[in-house]
Amino acid sequence: MMDRRTLISIIPLLALVPSVLLLTNSPAQDLPLKPQSVRFAVIGDNGTGEPAEYEVGEQMERARKKVNFDFVVMLGDNIYGGNSAADMKRKFEDPFKPLLDSGVKFYASLGNHDSPNERFYKPFNMNEKRYYSFKKGNAEFFALDSTYMNPEQLDWLTSNLHSSNAEWKICYFHHPLYSDGKFHGPDVDLRARIEPVLKANGVRLVLSGHEHLYERIKPHDGIYYFVEGNSGELRPHGIKASNDMVKGFDSDRGFMVMEIAGDQLYFQAISRKGETIDSGTIERQDKVTQAVQ
Amino acid sequence: MTLRTAVAGLVLAGAACAQGPSENSHPGVNADSLIISDFQKRVADYVQLRKAVESHMPPLKSTASVEKIDQHERELGDEMRLARRSAKQGDVFTTQIAGEFRRLIGFAMHPGGEKIKQSLRHAEPVQLHLKVNDRYPKRVPLQSTPPSLLQNLPMLPQEIEYRVTGPDLVLLDVKANLIVDLIPGVFS
Repeated sequence: MMDRRTLISIIPLLALVPSVLLLTNSPAQDLPLKPQSVRFAVIGDNGTGEPAEYEVGEQMERARKKVNFDFVVMLGDNIYGGNSAADMKRKFEDPFKPLLDSGVKFYASLGNHDSPNERFYKPFNMNEKRYYSFKKGNAEFFALDSTYMNPEQLDWLTSNLHSSNAEWKICYFHHPLYSDGKFHGPDVDLRARIEPVLKANGVRLVLSGHEHLYERIKPHDGIYYFVEGNSGELRPHGIKASNDMVKGFDSDRGFMVMEIAGDQLYFQAISRKGETIDSGTIERQDKVTQAVQ
Repeated sequence: MTLRTAVAGLVLAGAACAQGPSENSHPGVNADSLIISDFQKRVADYVQLRKAVESHMPPLKSTASVEKIDQHERELGDEMRLARRSAKQGDVFTTQIAGEFRRLIGFAMHPGGEKIKQSLRHAEPVQLHLKVNDRYPKRVPLQSTPPSLLQNLPMLPQEIEYRVTGPDLVLLDVKANLIVDLIPGVFS
């Protein structure tokens, strides 16, 4: 047993331990890193241009070296305030420069702080569309514009989800359908319109931001919901206690890494300091259904 | 307007108007449909003008140059302002059309419109008093428009959209970042 004097003498040394070591010592899942799996990162509400966003970017680069993800999905509020060339540089291009230089692609969705004309900004890979989809391996991603979910977009989503033959259908958009955040909470009108479409078409995972915190919510009708809205902004102590929440984190910034390997999706939420906040595995819905049968 | 055009317009308007007619009217051909048809004609006129103005500009394509995107937005907005320098509130939302919109919005919000109200409250409400031909301020977030509200309003061409700015409903030209028209106080 360590005595008090030894403990006191060690405390200053702990401050010198690099964050990489803390990452190693944390209960990290670090994903299975299976061959030919789909690996990506998730950020939301990042575009502040403040030092914390840069630190998240640095931590993401560390994670990329370890996990080797090759794309990032952005959950909106990509750029706060103005979106001039200087803003884009300070709030996106510079914080994520190491990732961009490594060829990592970013796929943005629009938040309420984003100009819809960000869809023309090539590094966001939106192809001039406010909502769009793309395929990676056995997964198809649907980036939606939840600031303007008009009937045309809902029809597009219904039709494209229905016709998708991807094993994993993943939707991401800014406003959460479920959230225990104190500031905004869930968008219940959006939920009423979109959730039946997600349920009817085999969506397994939904990622949102808007609340400046991390939260994993209990699955609803087989759909896993995450809020990842603290990649730049942060609302400390922004979560209220709830039976719906599996894991919440509202004391620092962070991001997520995910890996899809066959019928499993592995997730890991990582803080700005490199600590693993949450991790786990999601089974593909069809697989679960078959197992039950 | 010929009779055939008028009838065709009425049928189209009846189909486009997502909300049902008022109590003393008939589906398809009614006073409400005429009003909505008038609204859609005014919107179509705006879009036609916008397309004409933009046709003289280099097309905006996906680019890594933020300057090009910004420049296109500003030039398009400025050209539209010039082309509509006499535009005023009520050109699109005439008194009659605004009245119809108030009725449609009221219908969507009562009863059972609690989800819409909650969505509006949670969507980071903005307090702005914009005027026709204003730019939407860059630093102010766009309040999301509740989907159930959009379901109850006439469909718009992709060039423009409905936005809520505090108590007002505005028509926003997204690419030009321009306020086309507004109905003040509709959400008061």
